[in-house]
Amino acid sequence: MDFSLNEEQRAWQLKARKFAQEEIRPISLQRDQISDPRERFDWEIIRKGSKLGFRTAAVPKEWGGHGIDFVTQAVVMEELAKGDSSISKTFSQCWKWSHLIAAACTRDQKERFLKPFLADDTYLLGKGGTEPNAGSDNRLPPADDPKAGFKLKAERKGDEWILNGEKCFIANGSVGKLFFVDARTNPNVSIRQGGTLFLVPSDTPGFRVGKVYNKSGWSFYQNAELIFENARVPHANIVGEVNGGVKARAGDTSDFGDLELAANALGVCEAALESAMRHARTQLQDGKDIAEHQVIQLKLSEMHMLTEALRSFVMRVAWERDRTLPDTSNNVLVMNYSTDVIQRVTHLNMDIHGAAGFTMDACADKLVRDSIIWTHLAGDTVQRMKVVKRLVK
Amino acid sequence: MYSLHLTAEQLEIRDTVRDFVTREIKPIALKSERLEACERHFPVEILDQASQMGLRTLALSEEAGGAGIDNLTSCIVTEELAVGDVGVAATLAQTSALGHLLFDQAMTPVQRARFLPQFLADDRYHLAFADHEPNTDAGWNYYRPAVTQTGVKTTAVRDSKRDWVINGVKDFITNAPIAKLVAVQVRTDPKSSGMNGVSTLLVPRDTPGLTVREPEQVPVWYHGTRGELVFKDCRVPAESLLGEEGKSPLSGGAAIMGRGNPLIEAMNLGLGRAAYEAAVEYAKLRVQGGRAIIGHEAIGTILAEIAIKLEVARNMIWQAAWASDHPGAYADRSLADLPLETIARVFTSEVVHQVTLTAAEVFGAMGVMRDMPMQRYVGDALIFLHSGNSNSAAKLQIAEALAGYQRPVAA
Repeated sequence: MDFSLNEEQRAWQLKARKFAQEEIRPISLQRDQISDPRERFDWEIIRKGSKLGFRTAAVPKEWGGHGIDFVTQAVVMEELAKGDSSISKTFSQCWKWSHLIAAACTRDQKERFLKPFLADDTYLLGKGGTEPNAGSDNRLPPADDPKAGFKLKAERKGDEWILNGEKCFIANGSVGKLFFVDARTNPNVSIRQGGTLFLVPSDTPGFRVGKVYNKSGWSFYQNAELIFENARVPHANIVGEVNGGVKARAGDTSDFGDLELAANALGVCEAALESAMRHARTQLQDGKDIAEHQVIQLKLSEMHMLTEALRSFVMRVAWERDRTLPDTSNNVLVMNYSTDVIQRVTHLNMDIHGAAGFTMDACADKLVRDSIIWTHLAGDTVQRMKVVKRLVK
Repeated sequence: MYSLHLTAEQLEIRDTVRDFVTREIKPIALKSERLEACERHFPVEILDQASQMGLRTLALSEEAGGAGIDNLTSCIVTEELAVGDVGVAATLAQTSALGHLLFDQAMTPVQRARFLPQFLADDRYHLAFADHEPNTDAGWNYYRPAVTQTGVKTTAVRDSKRDWVINGVKDFITNAPIAKLVAVQVRTDPKSSGMNGVSTLLVPRDTPGLTVREPEQVPVWYHGTRGELVFKDCRVPAESLLGEEGKSPLSGGAAIMGRGNPLIEAMNLGLGRAAYEAAVEYAKLRVQGGRAIIGHEAIGTILAEIAIKLEVARNMIWQAAWASDHPGAYADRSLADLPLETIARVFTSEVVHQVTLTAAEVFGAMGVMRDMPMQRYVGDALIFLHSGNSNSAAKLQIAEALAGYQRPVAA
């Protein structure tokens, strides 16, 4: 066993750490306190991060990206998230879908979409799956109800497909230039048999962005409605085959999405620890640094213990993904574990700050609000049940 | 003897308040612009209606013009109000409780004649108790004498005409921005320390030398309305002294022993109930996985755990409230010799925090949307959990009580 990072991994870590400290952290709270959700987004930080390679870090080298491995991806997400969880997620959301482009798209599609993605610092990616009545049903479709899951309809008309329907809560929805979109091409069978995955650029006729959701956590991150009114998508934009959307996704064996949340959570835990340690060393209670009280010591050691345990789990899963070991369940389990850890650790930080009085540290408050997102936007409980299918087989 | 039957009067008042919350408070409290944690508009119109129903003067004795309800009934009413809006519940609970304390117990007949008619006549006449001062929190001095000096630094001295002149600052005072009469803790004997030599003065809001500042901090970390009171050469007549000089009638007592009226706990419980009721209603409506989600084991278990927590919390709160109405029950060994209110506060704040989080989870992504109530309930529960005297300190106070530790009285 060897836990050390190689030189390239270390270089990315330091670059991300510097960017997080010097550029992300100074705007994090300020952006969070803007009341209009659209106004919270900051293209300047995206451009700066993109120029440093954070937007395109996961695109394979043969296509002109940086092709960093999963261990490096985990380390970079962690460092960026230590500055701001949702700004880190805005970058890594692009990695998630560049993995899918690399794994499942044709050469022609890569030419048409990867190249402009690489060339444009403001080109962000997203995916539309969730609909008002299709949340958990997309992740865990009930066997006895083939109509469950996404309903957005796609009908063929010559060389084009006509899309009608709407998606909700879509990440990077109001800022993305390209979306993968799940649509029904056969409404009478389950989404596994009747779902197709389309590439939909944001300038597609008949496509528009609806409202941007105003969330209590991850407030920088742009979750939006996507509305399709006779949106015309060329047949050449289908990923994989007609009625083969689920299969096309399965071609991406990186299982990046779960690792992504866990690595991001690790960065948030580190931010909470830093905040707690600073507070414990500078605040007095009854004449002593609060760090000298047993009550506080027990909380601090629990925060360190959980954060280090999460780090070990995250790095092990990243290492497993780099070796493309046969399908393990660890990437799902680490995501679920990270939910428990991030919520406990940020809670302990707030507890330490709230030791007395009627005010709350704005940073401690934000970290708790960000951590609550883990329960709500990643299908956490559904994944906990779904993973058992892998574990028992 | 053991009975949990409510009287016909208690049941009637509970139903009346519950109906008021459903018809009048919820439609306003659940408007999206009131759900933002940072920008809360104070619902004056609801408070006016509540006052007209008698909710501002509930604890005031019937002889004085109130309803004369006991602490248990106050808790029942406060829980119901908090289901609608914690801020409304906090404001009314404070004025109602202080009304009883000041007008029925502490004032002289002359003082009562001066202030009571205005209090009864004006629906917007609220009360405040100005005790807390900046940088005077006791901290943790578990099992040993306090090192830091706590308590009252605001001073009051008599001038040549025997009037009192007050100087000092009070912060985080509940109802400060709306109170028309403030009971202020002042040090009248500069040689004393701790709670010795502390007197209480009655100061009308419009007294020259008293200014109120509303806090501007983000996040807003309290319920209802709070503010800072600044006294600068603020002069009140000699007859403003409440009780005896150097012996404040509002310090010490049951609350200090952790045996006071658990109104905060009742508010906290009402908040948990709001989250619970919303989650049950939504779980019956929302269909995923081929059925209403209440039909899934995972959701059913969440809701059951919420119900367990709220029922146990209510039992503890009602016990503490009844005990504060019947303090003899400690002496005759009916109740454990422990700070039952403090125990109820720690338990309620911890479980209601979990209740709001899991109730929000039932709503999926809608559970974190600013224009929906669930995230507001989570934020409100965090304020109960992490404000005022922290649970860490409260647990140490409970431990001192069970260990029989007696802190030496400061000289």
